[in-house]
Amino acid sequence: MLCQNCERNEATTHIKRVVNGDTAEIHLCRECAAHLGYGDFFSGFGINLGELFGGLMEAGLPSPGEAKVIRCPKCGCSFEDIAREGKLGCAECYTTFYDKLLPSLQRIHGRIQHNGKVSEAAGSEVKKINMLEQLREELKKAIAEENFELAAKLRDQIKETEKEAQA
Amino acid sequence: MNKWYIEKGEQGDIVISTRIRLARNLSDYPFPGKLDAKGRQAVNELVRDALLKDNTGGFSYLEMKNLTRSQAVSLAERHLISPEFASAAEGRALMLTEDESVSIMLCEEDHIRLQVMKAGLALHETYAIADQIDTVLDSRLKYAYDKRIGYLTQCPTNLGTAMRASVMLHLPALTSAGQINRLATTVSKLGLIIRGAYGEGSSPKGDIYQLSNQITLGITEKGALDNLQSITLQLVNQEREAAKMMMSNPGENDKIWRSLGILKSARLISCDEFMELISMVRLGASTGLIKVSLEQLNELIVNMQPATINAREGKSLTSIERDTIRAATVREALKNIG
Repeated sequence: MLCQNCERNEATTHIKRVVNGDTAEIHLCRECAAHLGYGDFFSGFGINLGELFGGLMEAGLPSPGEAKVIRCPKCGCSFEDIAREGKLGCAECYTTFYDKLLPSLQRIHGRIQHNGKVSEAAGSEVKKINMLEQLREELKKAIAEENFELAAKLRDQIKETEKEAQA
Repeated sequence: MNKWYIEKGEQGDIVISTRIRLARNLSDYPFPGKLDAKGRQAVNELVRDALLKDNTGGFSYLEMKNLTRSQAVSLAERHLISPEFASAAEGRALMLTEDESVSIMLCEEDHIRLQVMKAGLALHETYAIADQIDTVLDSRLKYAYDKRIGYLTQCPTNLGTAMRASVMLHLPALTSAGQINRLATTVSKLGLIIRGAYGEGSSPKGDIYQLSNQITLGITEKGALDNLQSITLQLVNQEREAAKMMMSNPGENDKIWRSLGILKSARLISCDEFMELISMVRLGASTGLIKVSLEQLNELIVNMQPATINAREGKSLTSIERDTIRAATVREALKNIG
C-alpha cells in the first residue's frame, strides 16, 4: 500500500483514529509519518488541532523547484501561505486548493462530507446548475435547427451564468 | 431586564451555562484576516443592516473602538466575546441583546460569530435560538458555503456545521480528586474538549470548565448536541458522586465553612483567592450544606472579575483598590449566609 500523503513510498505506519464514532485509518510512509508528528505516539495527539493545522498541511507543499506556485484567483493566497498560517484567505481558496486540503480535513474531522444545516447559498447554486443545464439543452437544439442567432444569444447567457455561479 | 446568567437552569448545581457559537462568512469578501479596515466596516454594516432592518431580536450595535479597554475585557469576562476579540478593536463590531443572551462578534476570526447563551444545561433550546437568527441572516446575506464541506470558515477546523456547542461546568469535587486530566483524555476520544473557563493554561480558576465539541465536519448539529448532552450528564453524575464522598469527610466540610468565613470577613481579596474560596462555597451550596442561591453565587463570580469591577467603577483601579472593592462587595453579598 502506498503512503496516503506522498503517494510515492510504501506505507509502513498505520494509524487508527476513532472520531465521531467512526474509525479512520491513515497509512503513511516513515518520512511522512515523522513529518506529520506521528513518529511516536506521544507527539501530535491531544494538542489543539488549530495550532497544528499549518504543520499538518506542510506535507502538501510542492518541493522546491517543482511546478510554479498556484495562487487563489480571488485573494492571491498560495497553498504555502495557508499551510504557514493555518488559515485560508477567502471562500474561493477552498475551491482552488480543495484536493490539497482534503487529507488534512480527513485527519482533523475524520470525515470530509458535510452533514448538517444547508445554507440558502447551496439552494441558489443548485438553481444555477439547473439553469445552466437547461440553457445548454436549448443551445444544442438551436444549433441542430441552425438557428445561429439564438445560439449566439444562448452562448452569451451561459457564459454569464457560469461567471455568476463561480462568483 | 435580568441578564441571562441570573436565571437558574437545568442541572444548575453543576452546569452553570450553555453556549452555542456559529461561524459564518460572506462569500463576496475575503475572510477578516485578509480584509482591510474599510472592507471590515462594509461587512459589519451589511450584517448590522440585515438584522436591524426589522429589528430582529432587539440588537444594539457597538463599534469596539468606542469602548474603553476595561469595557471590552469585561465583555470577555462575561463570556460575551472572546478574549482575542477584546484584544484589538480596529474594524470590529459587536451586536448584543439587552439581556446579553445573544451576541454577534463581527470580523473576529470569521465575519460572523453568532453566540447564544442560556443558564444551565439547555443545548437544544439554545441551538434553536441560534438557528433561527442564522436562518434570517442566511436569507438576507450571501453566505460562503460549499455543499461538500459546509459553511466555509477561515480556519478549516471549523468547517462543516461551523458550530461550537459548549457547557460551563463547576467541577470542584472532581478537581480535588485529581480526575480532570483523566476526563480530558477520555472526552478527547469522543470528539470533545475540556478546558478552564477562567484564567489561562493549566490552572483553571474556580474549578470552572468549558466542555465543547471539537469536530464539526460530517456530524449534524443535532448529532453533536446529543453527544455533548450525554457526556455532560455523565460528568454531572460523576461530580455529584465525588461531591457526596467529599462531603462525608469532616475535613472537607470544614474547608467549605472556612472558605465562607474568609469571604465574610476579608478586607482585601484578590481575584484568584476569591475564585478558589467561592468555588468551595458554591460546592457547599450545591450539596445543600450552605443555604445560598446558586444564581446569586453565579452572578457574584461574573461581577467580581477584574475588568468587570473596573468597568462598573468607570475608571482604572489599582489592584489594592480593586481588591478592597471586591472584598466589600463579597462581604455585603454573603452577610446573611451561614
